[in-house]
Amino acid sequence: MDDLKRRLLQRIIRTMPTQMLKTTLSKWARLNIEQQESLDFTQPKFLLTDQLLALCGESGLGVKHITELEMIYIIDNPNQRLWHAYQLLEAGDDAHSVEVTNFKEQFKVHLTELIRHVSIKIKKHTDEAVWIRIAWGDRSSRPNHLKPTYVVHHLQTPYVFVTNLTSKTMPLLSQALVMATRYSSMKDANLSGRNLSAVRDLLMKQFQQVFPSKHLQPLGKKNQINSNPQIEREQDEQSETRLQIACEAFGGGTLPELQKAIYTLETKLKDNTNKIMTEREQPFRCVVTFKSTNILESLRHSAMTGIASTPVTPMLSSISQKGRNHFLITDKGPGPQRKL
Amino acid sequence: MDRHTSVARTPVSSVVVQRRSKSHRLSYRSNVGTMSHLGYTPGFSKRRLTTSRLAPKHSRITEVNPEQLALLVREWQLSYVTPLYRFRHGQLKSYSRQLAAFMVSEQQQGVAAEVGLESALKVSFTLVAGMAQTEEEANTVFIQIHSKPPFSAPDDPQKLLWSGWLTSVGGNPDYLRSLPEDFVCLPLFCSGGTEGLTALVKAWFQQTFDCCFGPLEINSVNLQWLAALWTDCHARSSIKQLKLVWSLPAEPPLEVTYTVHPQDAWELWRSIRQPGERGGEEEEDGSVGLEEVACFIKGLKSHFYRHFRVELSAGRLTQVSTALGSAKHGGRLKISNSSYMITTLTLLTECALLKMPI
Repeated sequence: MDDLKRRLLQRIIRTMPTQMLKTTLSKWARLNIEQQESLDFTQPKFLLTDQLLALCGESGLGVKHITELEMIYIIDNPNQRLWHAYQLLEAGDDAHSVEVTNFKEQFKVHLTELIRHVSIKIKKHTDEAVWIRIAWGDRSSRPNHLKPTYVVHHLQTPYVFVTNLTSKTMPLLSQALVMATRYSSMKDANLSGRNLSAVRDLLMKQFQQVFPSKHLQPLGKKNQINSNPQIEREQDEQSETRLQIACEAFGGGTLPELQKAIYTLETKLKDNTNKIMTEREQPFRCVVTFKSTNILESLRHSAMTGIASTPVTPMLSSISQKGRNHFLITDKGPGPQRKL
Repeated sequence: MDRHTSVARTPVSSVVVQRRSKSHRLSYRSNVGTMSHLGYTPGFSKRRLTTSRLAPKHSRITEVNPEQLALLVREWQLSYVTPLYRFRHGQLKSYSRQLAAFMVSEQQQGVAAEVGLESALKVSFTLVAGMAQTEEEANTVFIQIHSKPPFSAPDDPQKLLWSGWLTSVGGNPDYLRSLPEDFVCLPLFCSGGTEGLTALVKAWFQQTFDCCFGPLEINSVNLQWLAALWTDCHARSSIKQLKLVWSLPAEPPLEVTYTVHPQDAWELWRSIRQPGERGGEEEEDGSVGLEEVACFIKGLKSHFYRHFRVELSAGRLTQVSTALGSAKHGGRLKISNSSYMITTLTLLTECALLKMPI
């Protein structure tokens, strides 16, 4: 047990910048002020871990408390993980009346019924989100606290965000969530990203959307000095049209930060100059990934500069319009969505 | 082979070998229309560079020797190096000592601070057999720098600090023959280790063999060549996947990774290779043409455009990788399968020869 405590603490401290560690420890409030002040943050981290471990021993703090510390840190810094979005389907009549205490209780009951060795910690965060930390065990082994799954759910919404989940534990989580929230099923929303709030904003459409309009509104800044008014006007109009189209496709203003969009293509290769491939029965299998620090902004910029032709294909505009970044494309239209 | 004949225009006998003057030497570039190669459009010169290459054959090396295996392990940073003056393959032992001494003395002068030379160094130069393609071609030289921790027992494993090699595979024989006697041409330099150590090794070579180094980037055309040549191998040795990476000038920069199923990539390649002139199924020794390579990439790009309406040509091809190896625009290379490494290295040797400033 002591070894687990050490490894858990080591892992938390290693990932945390020292300044962050200070504030997180005071938020945690398991150590008294004197203990907190006795910590020497200038020493190497492995020594700091030893000191902290000794203090935990002094105050009789166990694994349970240390996972709490981890949770506080993760809630404050969610963007170091990859978050997958899921959507709850078919709300029951009483889905709207689920509140935190009830949800907590129900979730715990259902999950422990499904799997005996599991450790669950639930915390309600200020912004109405419920954070769940789950350490999974299996039939014979105790819960593994070193590889916990985190789940974020905003009550009264059909969205769930999950990080670090395996295909083995997926059905268990899905079932417990569905029962606790009074929905009937949960499906993969085909959206993932490192920035939790961006993933949430995209799914809940909380970004500036631009709708088609016949009268172009000047979205961009106009040039003040016109050397040749006519040419300038024409160029301005063209670039304004492109800007409008790009914003209609991807959204205006600052866009949610997504790092990737992945397309699995299973479509026929049609090429006028290549008879053999065009006549081939089988689809041409490939995977295309767009990567950037913010793909929506990169794609919008590409549409504005002409790297992406306008009108923008639905393949790309679906990212913001459908809130997805994983696509399976076949010749029979979008592929079947995986149900859980 | 008409395109190489003019190499002989300057009589070799008239070249006075002088240590400090290299301008007498023949330039590889002066004889070929580089523009056509780099610019990818037919140049005005009739003597265009490689528009056709031999299809990759399973390597002639029947058994891979352990020295060759050493070339496979890691990713290498590529440079070109001009011919080495008075390099002797018979003196590798002495070079090992000299380079070790050089590194220690540089360290003592404080030049090479922080390259991890606190402990004693062991440098070894070894020959890698079976790489040279012709009689004229010099043998590949492999260099390793190990550190000996101060208090270690004699049989403790040594830590490999740096490794690198100089090679020439399938270099133009006419060019090689035209070099004055005292020069050894190993134009492709692959290094693996910290930049500080690489710089030291280069400095020693420069001092000792009066040569110079420069970065070797793998341009888009050559990356396309590799994509096609590697795909061509699929029938004999699975390439697992064909992965191409483009970087597009959007704001923020956009990277597109295009990963193709190996079988489909190969079938696309075959469909382009099919038309006539190659005599039925016996293309084993056939050649691959530049227009076929271009056609292959065009096929991939148009499939992409049909779906995304994004112009890949607006960006730059930066990386190609398959199970046989990977190559990046910045001049990084990894060879993962020895069977087809000769093909890859022949192409890179040619790039290095072209890059030489003389």
